[in-house]
Amino acid sequence: MNPSATTPKDPVAAEAVFSVRNLGKTYGTGHAAVRALSGVDLDLRAGELVVLLGASGSGKSTLLNLLGGLDTPSEGELRYRGWDLGRANETGLTRYRRDVVGFVFQFYNLIPSLTARENVGLITEIARNPMTPADALDLVGLTPRADHFPAQLSGGEQQRVAIARAIAKRPEVLLCDEPTGALDIKTGITVLEAVQRINRELGTLTVIITHNAVIADMADRVLTLYDGRIQNSRTNVNRRPVGELDW
Amino acid sequence: MSLLDLKLLRDLRALKSQAIAVALVMACGLTMMIMTRSLILSLETARNGYYERHRFADVFSSLKRAPASVLSQIAALPGVAAVETSVSMQVTLDIPGMIEPATGLINSLPDRREPALNRPFLRAGRMLAPAARNEALVSEAFSDAHLLRPGDSVAAILNGRKITLRIVGIVLSPQFVFEAAPGSALPDNRSFGVFWMREEALSEAFNLEGAFNTVALTLAPGASERGVIAGLDRVLEPYGSLGAYGRHDHPSDTRVSDEIRVLQGLSFAFPLVFLGVAAFMTHSVMSRQIALQREQIAILKAFGFTNRQIGLHFVKFTLVIVVVGTTFGALGGWLLGQKLVIMYHLFFRFPSLDFQLASGALVAAAFASAFAALIGVLGAVRRIAALSPAEAMRPEPPASFRPAFFERIGLAKKFSVSFRMSLRNIERKPFQALFTCIALSLATGILVIPNSFRDGISHILDFQWDISQRQTVIVSLVEPGPARALADFRALPGVVLAEPFRAIPAELRAGNRTRRLGVTGLPANSELARVIDAQGRRITLPPQGIVLSKALADVLLLAPGDSVTLRVLQGERPVREVRVSALAEDFAGVAAYMDMGALNRLLGEGDRINGARLTVAGGLWDTFLTAVKNTPQSAGVAIKEAARNSFRKTTAESIGLIQTIYLTFATAVAFGIVYNSARISLSERARELATLRVLGFTRGEVGSVLIGELVVLTLVALPLGLVIGSLMAKAILTTVNTETVRLPLILTPANYAFAVLVVSTATTASAIFACRKLNQLDLVGALKARD
Repeated sequence: MNPSATTPKDPVAAEAVFSVRNLGKTYGTGHAAVRALSGVDLDLRAGELVVLLGASGSGKSTLLNLLGGLDTPSEGELRYRGWDLGRANETGLTRYRRDVVGFVFQFYNLIPSLTARENVGLITEIARNPMTPADALDLVGLTPRADHFPAQLSGGEQQRVAIARAIAKRPEVLLCDEPTGALDIKTGITVLEAVQRINRELGTLTVIITHNAVIADMADRVLTLYDGRIQNSRTNVNRRPVGELDW
Repeated sequence: MSLLDLKLLRDLRALKSQAIAVALVMACGLTMMIMTRSLILSLETARNGYYERHRFADVFSSLKRAPASVLSQIAALPGVAAVETSVSMQVTLDIPGMIEPATGLINSLPDRREPALNRPFLRAGRMLAPAARNEALVSEAFSDAHLLRPGDSVAAILNGRKITLRIVGIVLSPQFVFEAAPGSALPDNRSFGVFWMREEALSEAFNLEGAFNTVALTLAPGASERGVIAGLDRVLEPYGSLGAYGRHDHPSDTRVSDEIRVLQGLSFAFPLVFLGVAAFMTHSVMSRQIALQREQIAILKAFGFTNRQIGLHFVKFTLVIVVVGTTFGALGGWLLGQKLVIMYHLFFRFPSLDFQLASGALVAAAFASAFAALIGVLGAVRRIAALSPAEAMRPEPPASFRPAFFERIGLAKKFSVSFRMSLRNIERKPFQALFTCIALSLATGILVIPNSFRDGISHILDFQWDISQRQTVIVSLVEPGPARALADFRALPGVVLAEPFRAIPAELRAGNRTRRLGVTGLPANSELARVIDAQGRRITLPPQGIVLSKALADVLLLAPGDSVTLRVLQGERPVREVRVSALAEDFAGVAAYMDMGALNRLLGEGDRINGARLTVAGGLWDTFLTAVKNTPQSAGVAIKEAARNSFRKTTAESIGLIQTIYLTFATAVAFGIVYNSARISLSERARELATLRVLGFTRGEVGSVLIGELVVLTLVALPLGLVIGSLMAKAILTTVNTETVRLPLILTPANYAFAVLVVSTATTASAIFACRKLNQLDLVGALKARD
């Protein structure tokens, strides 16, 4: 199932890949209830690079999980190209993650028993219109390391494999959760360059979660979350090239 | 309860299904151990008590006829404690309600005293009145088969004279715990029964007054059985001795001892295998548990808990499994043992055969399973001791992999990525894979065993009664008769074909090896008693020379072309050298065949026959049987169908029960090992599998990644299991097979298919069961955590 193909487009949200209205998420019930996200309104457009900033517990991961189809909202509306993602069932969400979203995680989450090429190949095997694993690895500059296992790669290299894996299926959305959180500056820059290149060359809507305010300079738009709400939204008139970032 | 123990209880609750799986496999081994040891105890207690109370003899001999005075010569032999002589004769019986005649073996009891040896046990009615003439005691097995009660009568043909015997008592005898016709491998209690009469009446009927034809004696403490047997043979030689033998060659005692021997083998081998698998499973579960609790262990150590305390904590964990396993094992052994004891009543007749729980085995079982579990947990606990707290608080380094062997040799091109993952995981933990594979092979293998026995029995049935023995009935004469007696048989109503046979007792000697047996004389190209070689071809009996059964040739170390000394044990007792011309295939006893003309020439008594094989037209069967029953010369009738049905009934029942037991065990092992492997794999790879789910893999796809390894291991284990099963069946047959009965090793595609089907089904079911846990994968959590 292709969600965008089977559901009619909402004319209001035609331009937006994601249209979010009054979105909220509460974990637990009664006295134990924790409100992780509330009253979020947001539109995310194709080709945008958006950075979500915020302290721990601000709700940025919750928002990313909802956008990625890993979780469902407790209230409000979450539409992907007009399709009601908030009310999709388990099968629909799996299909959505498979066809639409690319994930990059803080700890890479590579399959240790597969080489770099195979980790990418694992996804291209199930994707509908993938690039070859070699092309994907070339995009992140890892062609020479393609046949190494994760344990034989540095952290930065592992993260670039994870990016190659995420983009090999030509996803419409790339979601990165603290992609540089476990890396030093130099390696972090290399990884972010790869993300930026994907965003520019493939026009993939990219959302990056980070603690690191410096990274926000590479974004088209920066959203700051606080206590489950969007506290601030600003647009960078001039995006800084990743190479110029420093922290 | 200490808080560490409270933690233990809670951890156990979380691990309950895995702990149960281990306990189940353990219980299977213990069930077998307790069941077999209890059966051995039950059989030995019943046998030893019975033999002692009823004075079962140590040495036995049959002969043609010796005067009563010889008794004192026997009693005077050094090493002889007590002697009893008697008369024993085979007769044809006419049983009310049974159309076909049955065969009876009538033994004499002293007229006015209790026998010194082999005393019958009275089950119902009374013993014979002193010097009673027409009274008889009957064996319980035969009376059960014909519903005979004290007061009933049976007609018997004694030396050509039909007399009516009144049954006064139903008895058992230590000589007939296993009651089968002489030379018969399996009991047929409808066609063959044992009777006792007073000596005077019986010996008069057979003109044996003041004489005897069987001897039984007991040995003095410390006496040599071989010496006494040699002495007895010397004394009885002039009286047509058929050779003395000890208890271990006694047809009834041999069967009881064989059964105990088989049980002893099983009581050791099976538990060893199952406890080995349980030890491996314990090791896997505990290793994983310790890996998962790495940080907890580090914290406990950091707070000052000693290695001993923490080690003991995990040892207690396994001891709980041992307690559960032993409890179920004891219960299983007790229940199954009771069922099997009832099955033994079909074969063995004791005054009482009660199930006795081998309490010693129970204690041994508890220790054995504790030992197995401790072996399993030892390596894991040693790892705890080696763990430094600071290091343990850091996550474990990522697992390093390399291309699998099949990839390194260039076979990987066609493999899917997920299949490669499976291969590499297997190669990274070769011992875990090996043990899982072995356990699954064993599960497959043990299924092959009972079915191969069933097929072996069915092969014997086909061979013995469709290929080799083609008569409807064998009729034997009381005494060897002239060749023209065959014409009398031919004249019986309904007889289509009649073929004579000759049977003489003889001793075959090759070097210092000897065997006493009946040599059978047949027409050179007998239609009704075909002699078949190992390739299934008919053997034409040569005008000179002898054909030996393969088993006999093995005993005597003879091959075709060799020469063997044949000493006839009757008449003039001629001794001749004869050439072994071919080897025949058969499955019971030892046999030797000669051309009937050649055999008669060797004896020099003219053309004589011992009886005939007959085929009888179906329509005239009843008329034929009535006529045979009234033929005074006939000493016994063996009906093929009767033997066949009895064989089927008794074996089908016991094989069915054994099959069920093995099936349960195999399923338990297959289920336990697969479920546990899948659960451990799920626990070890939770993060990896959650990642795949996040990346868009469906539950089914992730499930197939999870069980991919198990599928590979099962695919390797199945053929290996068939090989192991075949070898185990062969090994068991080698143990069980004796000169008396030889079950051939028959392995059919249907047998293999059944084993494969059961293990695949158990594997699939447990894999599905384990895969249900995939629903509980925490997708978000797995992405945040770093192992």
